Amino acid sequence: MSGLSSLEKVLGSKELLYTLLLLSVILPILHPLGIPVEISQRTRDVYGYIEKNLRSGCRVYIEVYYEVAARGELEPNLIALTKHLFDKGCKIVYGSLGAFGVVAFSLFKSMASDLFEGKEYGRDYVYLGYIAGGEAASASLAKSIKGTISVDNYGNRLEDLPLMREVDKATDFDLVIIVSSGTDVFSYYVRQWHTPYGVPLLFAALSVIAPSIEPFVGAKQAVGMLVGQRSAAEYEVLVGRLGLGIASMDAQSTSHMLIVAFIIIGNAIYWGKRVSSKKGGSK
Amino acid sequence: MISWDLFGAWLCAAMVVWIYSFVYRDNVFYKVAEHMFVGTAAGYSIALALDSLNRVLISPAVRSPQTFLTTSWHYLIPAILGVLMFAKYSRKYYWLARYAVAINIAVGTGLALRTVPIANVVRQITATIVPLWGSDPVKVFNNWVLVLITLGGLTYFLFTIFPRRVEGARASPQHLVYRALYYIGIYGMMVGFGALFANTIMTRVGFLISIYLIYIQPQAWASIIAAVLAAIAIIVGILRKK
Repeated sequence: MSGLSSLEKVLGSKELLYTLLLLSVILPILHPLGIPVEISQRTRDVYGYIEKNLRSGCRVYIEVYYEVAARGELEPNLIALTKHLFDKGCKIVYGSLGAFGVVAFSLFKSMASDLFEGKEYGRDYVYLGYIAGGEAASASLAKSIKGTISVDNYGNRLEDLPLMREVDKATDFDLVIIVSSGTDVFSYYVRQWHTPYGVPLLFAALSVIAPSIEPFVGAKQAVGMLVGQRSAAEYEVLVGRLGLGIASMDAQSTSHMLIVAFIIIGNAIYWGKRVSSKKGGSK
Repeated sequence: MISWDLFGAWLCAAMVVWIYSFVYRDNVFYKVAEHMFVGTAAGYSIALALDSLNRVLISPAVRSPQTFLTTSWHYLIPAILGVLMFAKYSRKYYWLARYAVAINIAVGTGLALRTVPIANVVRQITATIVPLWGSDPVKVFNNWVLVLITLGGLTYFLFTIFPRRVEGARASPQHLVYRALYYIGIYGMMVGFGALFANTIMTRVGFLISIYLIYIQPQAWASIIAAVLAAIAIIVGILRKK
């Protein structure tokens, strides 16, 4: 067996790769490396949009649509955005088109309890809870929230909540933010909120689905997009509340370097074996 | 002092290690964690769906039937359609479920079609009509890439009408343009798949990091035990393979 084949066998072991991956994640968390985080233009644009266009008292709707598995990528974005909006004096209505959104919202609130200190439920923010019906529910909410549901997540009548007396339909909101782990939900809001009513949309998405919804941003159907932990880290720096996003950056960098190294070595072995077999060496 | 929080943290840490042990091979700990997750998630989803039904329909109807019938009577229509869905379990009344399914599909299709042509077709085509000349060379280059890869991708998926090359004859200009766009399409898609793959890695690694940060990292000694257990499982796996 040639040296390249032996190397391929050792490095091709999934146990080795996963062990190295685990170490590349654990070690930088236990001993942070402090790799600097440069803020991208995309994140600056989102921050700049909110700074420029939202004034105290403005109303924002946030769709919370992600399962617990996606929490690490999306919750830091949601926390940073909420912090920014509350700092600007905005009022927020949260809602979920997926049942798991209820769990996500409760975890988000417990993780960011400091943001809600001094904020009054019903006046500064409201959580509508799970609204069944997918795209049909989204269209119905855009037309009239109170016509779609009569109570919030906690059973309070919407008519009794001061914030819900101010807002009812899509055009009552200055911005709609979709924090989602599913591609479909972004399409729902583009089709049912932006296209008929022209409401500005802002996306916070998993890295894996970002390429799928990028065309909406390119076509100016959304004002911007925050992608995964990287954007969350940048946004945390901008709003001055460091959290899970920034804490994960060292581990993200080291694990990506490991995967890049494996891809390079794998390709080098492949080409090396090809060249040696052409020269008449062992395959 | 053992509290529920501490017990929950240990259970989470154990579940993470058990799920991660699948890297070694399918095993009883992985199966236990998997079944616990599926069972909990299914039960929780059903509970939340019932809670939503209760909040929106049952509770208001029971609490004040008169107000419900005057202001929210229309909720009864989806409620009836929802009940009809259960007719699927009856051989005799199976056909009733078709009405609920048909209305559901019709409403969904109608709502989507109302805006799909604008949102998903017209706006996307408009977004590719960009200036190909200008003072900013980076922007011009990006615009050329956008236009060429869009055209290339569309050309690649032409399955019926395309200029063929006659055997033995010189390639026509149309054929050369078609082949050029065809290859631009292929390489454009390759770049797209590469970006998608990289983003997939980023998401999966992000999940791993966040699980570690949220559940395990606060208890450093629990992290070390988890890592040692995982390492033992991996070493045993390698030795058994040999």
